[in-house]
Amino acid sequence: MMLTTIAWRNVWRSPGRTITIIMAVAVGVASLSFLTGFINGFVINFVDNGIQSDYAHVQIHHPAFKADKELKYDIKNADEVAEKVKLLPGVVAVTERTLINGMISSPKTANGIQIYGIDVNLESQITNIDSSLVEGTYLSTIKKNPILISTEVAEKLRLKLRSKVVITVQNENREIVAGAFRVDGIFESRSKRINDGAVFVKQQDLARLIGGPVKIHEIAIMGTSHENAQILADSISQIAPELTTESWAQLAPELELMQSQVWINMLVVLVIIMGALCFGIVNTMLMAVLERVRELGMLMAIGMKKTRIFKMIVLETIMMALVGGPLGIIIGLLFNQYFIVNGLDLSAYSEGLKEFGYSNILYPTIQVMDYVVIAISVGVTAIIAAIYPARKATKLKPVEALHTI
Amino acid sequence: MKVIKANQLTKVYNESKIPVTALSGVDIEISEGEFTAIVGPSGSGKSTLLNIIGGLDNPTSGYIEVGGLDISTLSENQLIDFRMNNIGFVFQSYNLIPVLTAKENVTFILLLQKKSKQEMNARAEELLNKVGLGDRMNNRPNELSGGQQQRVAVARALASKPKFILADEPTANLDSVSTANLLDLMAEMNATEKATFVFSTHDQRVIDKARRVITLEDGKIKSDEIKS
Repeated sequence: MMLTTIAWRNVWRSPGRTITIIMAVAVGVASLSFLTGFINGFVINFVDNGIQSDYAHVQIHHPAFKADKELKYDIKNADEVAEKVKLLPGVVAVTERTLINGMISSPKTANGIQIYGIDVNLESQITNIDSSLVEGTYLSTIKKNPILISTEVAEKLRLKLRSKVVITVQNENREIVAGAFRVDGIFESRSKRINDGAVFVKQQDLARLIGGPVKIHEIAIMGTSHENAQILADSISQIAPELTTESWAQLAPELELMQSQVWINMLVVLVIIMGALCFGIVNTMLMAVLERVRELGMLMAIGMKKTRIFKMIVLETIMMALVGGPLGIIIGLLFNQYFIVNGLDLSAYSEGLKEFGYSNILYPTIQVMDYVVIAISVGVTAIIAAIYPARKATKLKPVEALHTI
Repeated sequence: MKVIKANQLTKVYNESKIPVTALSGVDIEISEGEFTAIVGPSGSGKSTLLNIIGGLDNPTSGYIEVGGLDISTLSENQLIDFRMNNIGFVFQSYNLIPVLTAKENVTFILLLQKKSKQEMNARAEELLNKVGLGDRMNNRPNELSGGQQQRVAVARALASKPKFILADEPTANLDSVSTANLLDLMAEMNATEKATFVFSTHDQRVIDKARRVITLEDGKIKSDEIKS
């Protein structure tokens, strides 16, 4: 008990120094909390954008379609598969898509493009293409052959709302067919892939163009969460073993890589901040020990064992961390809460961010477990930082220490 | 009864480089309850002798027995326990724990000895009343004068009822009034607490008060005078 009292009072012997180190711990912890929230938010934003703007949680294709995106590699029993998938637990929405590679031409220029033939109602339950519109409507104003193009395509082909474009594709007989479409909406997707090279038309319009019934090349499924996507994909594989079923992580390994690498990023940040904190604490505690050499000598002389001296110094360090750590967590929590509500506006960097598939407004994401990890890290850092000064104290010889001026 | 026995005690510092002999073949015996001053000029070896008696330093050669124990054979931890249970130290610059009150400074050693709270409080209050600081128990060292701090140090040294009080130049930083008060106090404690007091000093007032004066010069005993 007395050891704790002495340690606590020793902590406040030099209030300026103690407050400095407490603030250093608090700022370190607050920065770490905020950075954790920021990095998590960044990654989740990236993954969310990829899933909501492009991949969905799971996709089903003809086994040959991925390697060779030919019209003939469609899913013959798509409706039947889709109905079965809808009945699976954890399935939120299912849509069927026609996918054809072709060309889009304006009076000025032409561009290679992937044409998505979509079911207007079901697609909006899967991707956010409807809410990504910056101009026009979601294939609802123009009656005949409406098309949604991205801002990128609009710029390249110098197109505006209601501009006429010609879509050219190859039908199943390898004949080139073309059809006129009119721009009904211009979207700005957060998926670079979609923004650079995809247009959306109604499934029936595309079927009419290629001549024949609607062909389905892709079934996109939205589940309840990113984490459960693989489980969902596995259960879908059992329903349709003859088809290729992939989760978003398999479809877009870069998203998966980003998510799996986040802990490495965090670890690097953690090590840097805790390392700096460690040096600060070691320095301060070493100073505190060297200033008290004679007193420590006296304590040893009158009968205080070295283990107790060691404990006292470690205790002093932990006490500083115990004040600074929670303070930093509170500051970090407040910062994160503010930005969770208001978002962090990164529009100044929006061009660059868009390139990588990020949103302009970033919302930090942080779990209770993250705070627990940070708190434990501070505790461990304080203990590690205390070891050297505490050992230095126990190495003192009482007779020499007592004669130190 | 002889409670301190030193035989051919030698201490050489810096043996491997430029050796400095602090003690050279010192033989002394001190009886229980003595009030002894070890005197001599600076560098005569009096502090070294006191440190060796107190188990703070080891002799280079020779034999030292304190309280019937050959302390040169004790390990570091055994020496710490020996000091805690047998020796009370009074230092030249008081060396109180600055963050503790007078009372807490006195109880500190009892805490190390794992005494009960009741026993610690009773002993600290008894001693601080004896040294005339009953009204300053809750003051920290920086709120006390030099003389008062040294009185707390004496109370601390006596707290665990040690067999020996070793005081290294205890009056060096005190004015004459404080010195006189402290010496009276120590003499009284010597009588009431039955502890053996050994001082190192070159303060004439301490020498006058001591009942035995051992004079050291160049690490050797020059004279050993027992006053009648």
